[in-house]
Amino acid sequence: MKPGGAYYRYLNRVGWFYIAPAVLLYCAFMLYPIGSSLFLVTQKWRGFNREFVGLANFARLAQDKIFWQALGHNFLFIFTQIPIMVFLALILAVILNKGIGRFRGPFRVFYFLPCVTSLVAYSVLFRILLQTNGLLNNLMLGLEVINKPIGWLNNPFWAKVTIIIALTWRWTGYNTVFFLVGLQNIDDTIFEAAEVDGAGKIRQFFRITLPLLVPVILFSAVTSTIGTMQLFDEPNILTWEGGPSNATMTVALYIYRQAFVTNSDFGYASALSYVMVLIAGALAFIQIRLLGGRD
Amino acid sequence: MKRVVTVSLFILLTAAVVFGGGQGSTGKMAGKTVTVWCWDPNFNGFSMQQAADVYKKIRPNVTVEIVDIPENIEGKIEAGLQAGGAGLPDIALFQDFVIEKFIQNYPGIFVDLKAEGVDYSKFAQYKVGPMTDGSKIYGIPFDTGSTGLFLRVDFMRDAGLNPDQYKRNMTWDEVIDLGTKIKQSGGKPLLAYDSTSYDFLRILVQSTGTQFFKPDGSLNFKTPALRKSLEYMKKMNDGGLFYTAEGWNNWVSAFNNGQSVGLLNALWIIGTLKSKSENAGKWMVAPTPLVAGVPGARNASNNGGSSWYVFASSKEKAEAVDFLKSTWASEDPAALEFYNIILKQAGAMGTFLPSRSGSNYTANDDFFYKSQPVFKDFAAWMENVPTLNYTANYLAMRDSLRNAMNLLFGGEITTIDETLTRAEQEYKQVTGQ
Repeated sequence: MKPGGAYYRYLNRVGWFYIAPAVLLYCAFMLYPIGSSLFLVTQKWRGFNREFVGLANFARLAQDKIFWQALGHNFLFIFTQIPIMVFLALILAVILNKGIGRFRGPFRVFYFLPCVTSLVAYSVLFRILLQTNGLLNNLMLGLEVINKPIGWLNNPFWAKVTIIIALTWRWTGYNTVFFLVGLQNIDDTIFEAAEVDGAGKIRQFFRITLPLLVPVILFSAVTSTIGTMQLFDEPNILTWEGGPSNATMTVALYIYRQAFVTNSDFGYASALSYVMVLIAGALAFIQIRLLGGRD
Repeated sequence: MKRVVTVSLFILLTAAVVFGGGQGSTGKMAGKTVTVWCWDPNFNGFSMQQAADVYKKIRPNVTVEIVDIPENIEGKIEAGLQAGGAGLPDIALFQDFVIEKFIQNYPGIFVDLKAEGVDYSKFAQYKVGPMTDGSKIYGIPFDTGSTGLFLRVDFMRDAGLNPDQYKRNMTWDEVIDLGTKIKQSGGKPLLAYDSTSYDFLRILVQSTGTQFFKPDGSLNFKTPALRKSLEYMKKMNDGGLFYTAEGWNNWVSAFNNGQSVGLLNALWIIGTLKSKSENAGKWMVAPTPLVAGVPGARNASNNGGSSWYVFASSKEKAEAVDFLKSTWASEDPAALEFYNIILKQAGAMGTFLPSRSGSNYTANDDFFYKSQPVFKDFAAWMENVPTLNYTANYLAMRDSLRNAMNLLFGGEITTIDETLTRAEQEYKQVTGQ
């Protein structure tokens, strides 16, 4: 390769001209905010009143019990909701792939609908279904499954269950679609060969289907982890500002409340976001290493 | 040649799209537009529209445009302020409890209306306190949140009680006694209570005149008023006198559908009661019960209430100020009449004292039991409402108390002391103190 050729390509003005809008937008809406938030974290910020405090926001964060509690909730949701969801999505995908011959299309739409529903609309609906005198409690009381209404929204334990149910309802169908595509990409001849060798259906599932689906499971686990790390709407609307008594407070909601609700403290909120990004990045890294390290 | 035509057409069209908008707005230059942000088209939005109609007759060339911001208006305003005033309206409505946060955290964003000649002695004084900053006063007070105890007379009769005996200044002990009697005769829980809100506690504490904050801005939680109020609430909760609802809609449907005997809240709830017309004649309003034994306690309190503010960044500052002054702060008969209209049609009671001469202030209201003149009662109670100091940290204080209170009612913590300590800890964590 001639060095001159690369140099001319570098100087290709037309090329630069074409990508200029994308680069400008990226700089304005990605690089600039990231850069300026580096300045924000060094400030104690109350609206227009700000002062340089160095790393004091991080010291405050280390002692902020509400923040650690919120982070704990994020992890709780990640480690309980995502496995449940992946498991359910896998079963649904297998059923959709083999079990149902006809109506596959309508079923796919049916499972995919929740994740294109408006966040606010579904949170409000869940609220009505789950309130103490709501449909679910009345149904279970009527069937005598329970003898006292469950505080789906005002009991610290059940409110967490509510969030897990809501997230599972919303995202299982979404992940099912990925698994379905993964399943359809597995060559049928592999299964035929396994059958000839005398492997049963269950053995085929664990020895062939599952290992070949690992990349898809990995993708779905990583995106779900990042999504759950940023969990905001459900605790904000469904369980009222992370209620009851902060039992469903998450880091993203706490950041929002620090900046736009309680304190106008954009410096502290930025410090919290940096920590959130670092943790989400670390989790994604670990997952990729654990599940996909071999290739 | 064809290419040249295409390109020039394209440029022309682009120019039309880009500059067309500009032409549209310059076309309006003949008249000026004052934009107002508020959040309830049936209440404050409706009231502002009435004021705008009055102003249309005074200055026909000024258009008042009212924009409904139903969700988190303060967050939107903060985003605009951080962006150097971009996208903000000329006038906005602020809850009284958040205004000190804006005045302290964002100095200089509001127009000093005292300097513009507004006479604040004509407004209810408890409304003026929070909007005062040294020698400057920023807002035009809008509505009062004068409170009362709303009770269903039919449910009281079912329990063998005479409602007329309870239309008087009661103490909370008497109210608990009333609730217990109804409960024992197989009746409903006495009061609908919203577990996501702290308003109930606020009404009790404000009725004593005790502050949530000390003058230096630090918390003032360990007071007889707060302890006593929590004790009463705990007693009602544990005794089954609360119908506990989750959130506003659930709470409203609880008392509108007769799942509780009554509720404790401000007069602005009357419109919501009236939306259920089959309940006409069944409601009565007693004064806010007394937190007995706390010095300074009265049979009057407040919940909610908001005020209008002009942004200093407004391009139509002069018009915005003139608009507010010649409608909300004017003794002109037309202005006083619009106060009279919004009281009747939206249930919004202004805090401009001369407006209380309006006919609707004393009128009998057939929706209520024995045509009780409820607005007359609420206006009389309003005069006794003690001022509450909100400070810039009111929201953090409010939420920490609500959270601790829910733990107390849920049985996760058992004593009032622990509740107050818990709330204080959370407040310090959230505000970084």
